[in-house]
Amino acid sequence: MTNKRYAIVLDTRKCIDCKACTVACKAENGVPIGRDNYRNWVTTEKLRGTYPNLGQSFTPGQCMQCGNTPCNHVCPTKATGVNPDGLVTVEEKKCIGCKYCMTACPYNARYYNEETKAVDKCTFCAHRIYAGGLPACVETCPTKVRVFGDLNDPNSEVSRLLAKHPSRVIKPEMGTKPFLFYLM
Amino acid sequence: MSRLLDNKLSRRRFLGLSSCALATVVVGSQVKVLRALAKSGEVGDLTRLPDKSVFTSCEMCVNKCGVIARVRNGVIYKLDPNPDYIKSRDMLCARGNAGIKAMYDPDRLKYPLIREGKRGEGKWRRASWEEALDLVAKNLTELGEKYTRAGTMFLSTEGFQEHFFLMLAECYGSPNTVRHPTLCLASNIQGFGATFGTNPTPDVLNADYIIMSGANRAEAFITPDTIDLLKGDGGRRKLVYLDPRFTKTSAKADEWYPIKAGTDMAFILALIHVIVTESLYDRGFIETMTVGFDQLAVHIEPYTPEWAAAECDIPAADIRRIAREFAAAAPKAVYYQGRRSSFFSNDTQMRRAMAILNAIAGNWDVPGGMIPNGKIKLAEHVYIAPWYDDIPDRLDQGSVTYLSAKDGAWLHFRDRVLAAEPYPVKGMMIYKQNPLQAAPNRAKTLQMMEQMEFICTIDITMSDTAWYSDVVLPEATYLERMDPVESLPGILPVLSLRYQCAEPLFESKPNLWIMQQIAKRLDEEVFESFDYTIEEFVDHQLSNNPAAKQMLEEKGVYYESPTPVYRSSYGKPLRTKSGKIEIYSEKYAENGLDPLPVYTAPEAPPAGRYRLLVGRHAYFTHGTTQNNPWLHDLMPENTLWLNTQEAKKLGLKHGRMVQVKSPVGVQTLKLEVTEKIRPDCVYMAHGFGVLSRGLTNIYGKGACDAALIEDKACPISGNAAMHETFVEISPA
Ligand code: SF4
Ligand code: SF4
Ligand code: SF4
Repeated sequence: MTNKRYAIVLDTRKCIDCKACTVACKAENGVPIGRDNYRNWVTTEKLRGTYPNLGQSFTPGQCMQCGNTPCNHVCPTKATGVNPDGLVTVEEKKCIGCKYCMTACPYNARYYNEETKAVDKCTFCAHRIYAGGLPACVETCPTKVRVFGDLNDPNSEVSRLLAKHPSRVIKPEMGTKPFLFYLM
Repeated sequence: MSRLLDNKLSRRRFLGLSSCALATVVVGSQVKVLRALAKSGEVGDLTRLPDKSVFTSCEMCVNKCGVIARVRNGVIYKLDPNPDYIKSRDMLCARGNAGIKAMYDPDRLKYPLIREGKRGEGKWRRASWEEALDLVAKNLTELGEKYTRAGTMFLSTEGFQEHFFLMLAECYGSPNTVRHPTLCLASNIQGFGATFGTNPTPDVLNADYIIMSGANRAEAFITPDTIDLLKGDGGRRKLVYLDPRFTKTSAKADEWYPIKAGTDMAFILALIHVIVTESLYDRGFIETMTVGFDQLAVHIEPYTPEWAAAECDIPAADIRRIAREFAAAAPKAVYYQGRRSSFFSNDTQMRRAMAILNAIAGNWDVPGGMIPNGKIKLAEHVYIAPWYDDIPDRLDQGSVTYLSAKDGAWLHFRDRVLAAEPYPVKGMMIYKQNPLQAAPNRAKTLQMMEQMEFICTIDITMSDTAWYSDVVLPEATYLERMDPVESLPGILPVLSLRYQCAEPLFESKPNLWIMQQIAKRLDEEVFESFDYTIEEFVDHQLSNNPAAKQMLEEKGVYYESPTPVYRSSYGKPLRTKSGKIEIYSEKYAENGLDPLPVYTAPEAPPAGRYRLLVGRHAYFTHGTTQNNPWLHDLMPENTLWLNTQEAKKLGLKHGRMVQVKSPVGVQTLKLEVTEKIRPDCVYMAHGFGVLSRGLTNIYGKGACDAALIEDKACPISGNAAMHETFVEISPA
């Protein structure tokens, strides 16, 4: 079985909220300007505590390339599709802009691109990884918070990280089986 | 202030709305910007050219990270990090990624402009290069005749093509070059230089213990330090961070102390006190490598942790423990000096204290310590500047103890221009510098500019300073020009080169071309020093090093060793008077300065007023990238941070507009009520409240810190002291 299963593992302890990943993604994927348009994001979590005992964390995220895809199930035109390697895609031409998928996605990972008149979202930069590269956000990150790889390969860095460290996914109760893993 | 998070949650509000709800969307891709500009006739139609990847280095800030520009049909569509460029370790920050938008920016300066209305009124006439350059040369010649050639000051800031601008100043005959260091790091260079003979680089990657005073590395990027602080060791390293603000570095630190601003020297002296009195220092190192330890031992007696605790609001027990931990980790420990050291007027002596602490712990030129910078040699550019008989000394001569003849002392210089003492300065040539945002007391800078007879600015956008100029010349961005090779010093010294990635847009030109054209118009003799192409210049620089030329072509970077070289300074005299590390500075004593750092407490904020802090963060470089559409998206304006308890006292609510008043100016901006700051301080990010309407995204947004900060300075180095201003806050 040579099939791949792509995933991203994140070590958010290293994240400094610099937003390099967000801007790199905008450049790579022609995401229109405007604060509502993004394929990935970094959540500046709420400050913990009161002065002078404070703490704060930063959580990057993007489409989780779910194993069970509510976005795909509701798409009336099959514009949303799932590749054998797990990457969830949107075919621009087939998208009619009904935005059902945006409502269905529990992670708010999708936005409507006014320029292409289609819903858009992170694909782990499929065009880059099929050409042997890394997703733009993974590559540009100063501290390399995100690690990208193939979970079907037990020797990949993502497999090894998950074998070695406990991790969590976001909203597991939704049953979406996300493939973005956050190290704990 | 809303953050991306809020927007993320709110974007569903567009669900179900028709697309006109987003009618104001600005085009995103470079091709679309170009198409829009082509339609309006501002650029030609897009041509079809082969795809290519070009090595360059980023100029969005001063780090010069390695970049590979991906170019399709002559259009740069993506900037990727260069994995071989060891200084930046395969990364680009948000600004680096937004570099494309600096080039494809509808707000760019497009052609030469000549002022029509009053200064600052914004009435411009498009001029030909010919006309604009003639006007510049005519004014330089006339000013020279009227006021001597020293009557024109040349302001610039670092960049690969600054060399040509400084050459023009020299060949024209003005001694008055006024560069950025005294608005930035002059006191660091001075304090560390007086101790080690150089300003070394902390080996962040290999240090086990790091103490930082206000050097907000998670937001104020220095590569590779920012990267190395967070990665590489799986969390083994300990970071102790002192800052009156809870920054993103505080969020990443093992221990954060909201120190009372301006008291860092007390903390450091107390660390030294503990290390000396408990004999935790490196005796062998001190004996062979340093002078003046005995004087230090006496000097340090009164500076106990208990004394320091009262000064800096850090418990004595913590100071004692940190001193012991630091000494135990030494020599793999650094008191990180930071870069910008324009905090207080005692900054040089404060940096001296840091250097001395590092020295007695033996953290010198070994893994994890302070490393003297390596630098790769280039063939020198020898040129002959004409000799003029009647040129006086620098205008700011003698204004501070150690004046750099190349950099000057910014604030002192301005005072002397205003006093016309000892002679008048009536012309300003400006390259890349933006003093109306950068220099404290904006009103005074405006006053200085008002009395100028001629001001010319070379830049890529209409900065505030360009806005107040008479002639504005558009420079090509770093992506559109080839630059000289730059030798970047550091623990990992590299040669960096910018190949041209795309054709210059509009009528913009590389600075070398602009300098050549001005030189030609000034004098044949002057032009001789500029008579070469950039390719010839680069060939000459690399003429002694064919290996460098090859590696630059193949990898976009050249280095001699991919790993640091340690102990190169051992067994050789250092560049100090004694040839050793000077704990006690004979040189300072001779100049009437404290030979060992003596602490004086900073003035406390008067009742009802707050200390104004300024700072940097990861989205903007000084006053330059706030208007960049992608970065502007991340932070559209600045706010005033005020501690929650204080806001309650003043009855001021989060999000309302407030007026901030200092002895030199008044500004209005939005209030951010937060736990993230000491109750006696307020803070605003730098670079907003612009005067220029040519910066369309940010004009009218936020407030300008330079308009509020008083012009105080360190008397030793001339460095501006930017944290000594107290402000009043009231509802606007
Ligand atoms: S680039 Fe890396 S460090 Fe910066 S915000 Fe994104 S994930 Fe965090
Ligand atoms: S995160 Fe949202 S868009 Fe991505 S696969 Fe899951 S449901 Fe679909
Ligand atoms: S730190 Fe960022 S802006 Fe500065 S040179 Fe590097 S990539 Fe460019």
